[in-house]
Amino acid sequence: MDARMMLVDDEEMIREAVELFLQAEGVDIVTASSGDECLGHLEKGFCGVILMDVMMPEMNGWDTIRKIVENGLYEGNLIVMLTAMDAPDNKMNGIQEYVTDYLTKPFNPDQLLEAIHYYFSLLAAAETADGE
Amino acid sequence: MGNSNIVVIGVSTGGPIALKRLFAELPPLDAAIVIVLHIPPGMDYKIARGLDAVASMPVALAEDGEYLRSGHVYFAPGGFHLKLEGNSRIFLEAGPRVNFVQPSVDVAMKSLQKPLKRGRLIGVILTGMGKDGAEGIRHIKQLGGSTIAQDQESSAIYGMPKAAFETGAVDFVYPPNKISKKLVELLSC
Repeated sequence: MDARMMLVDDEEMIREAVELFLQAEGVDIVTASSGDECLGHLEKGFCGVILMDVMMPEMNGWDTIRKIVENGLYEGNLIVMLTAMDAPDNKMNGIQEYVTDYLTKPFNPDQLLEAIHYYFSLLAAAETADGE
Repeated sequence: MGNSNIVVIGVSTGGPIALKRLFAELPPLDAAIVIVLHIPPGMDYKIARGLDAVASMPVALAEDGEYLRSGHVYFAPGGFHLKLEGNSRIFLEAGPRVNFVQPSVDVAMKSLQKPLKRGRLIGVILTGMGKDGAEGIRHIKQLGGSTIAQDQESSAIYGMPKAAFETGAVDFVYPPNKISKKLVELLSC
């Protein structure tokens, strides 16, 4: 099966912790340490749920989403922000439509699993429908 | 002017899960339900399909020119604003973003008119960033309708519900499962 989840976070410890947790739950996951790396995975055909950090050096999460949309790479994906910030700032203006969910770190494991399994089901149902 | 009950639900980030929780608890209602979720084209039908799987009422993307039917859920497609003409017919309209978004909750809610006789209006604002829907809630209240906002604790982003609450026009504040119960109660009296 192709990777269905991409974790984008500049902090290695977070990437490892989330990756281990989700792999143990049977989630097929790839990681990216920057917005550029995320775009690279998408250009190579990644399709699935993108779990995106907000505060990253160089290109932050919001700017990465803008690039994803500008470059026509959004189709077939669904974006969930994973952030240490309590509330987003107005940098999110204009891209709300592309941010399906917003989870705060430290994340609640049950909440994260409920969310991503539901999002997987939305994408899987759509694939089935597309193939009809 | 339509005589049926209308519920307009406005929601943004965190919306698919909040809607799932709300609709999983909601029995069929004597009302047409319109959902305006900030969503891009291409993702809209996926969310609608997911909601249809958990809801007791049929959920489908709203179509231009379609007449509202009680017991049905209409999901605003991405890339358009949705308006209700005469509280009974759906119009999809291109045009500039409002409150940075399209579809905009304010556009949909502010298109509602005062029901002539029967027909109850209810506005609901769920999780999301910004203030879209706040003016719409005030409008629904002015028309004599009922208004509900999601509580802070259950909101992924307590922006839109807070902005609605701060207008002073919100009647009830609840998490999604209790909003379901309140809708049943409001529509049975």
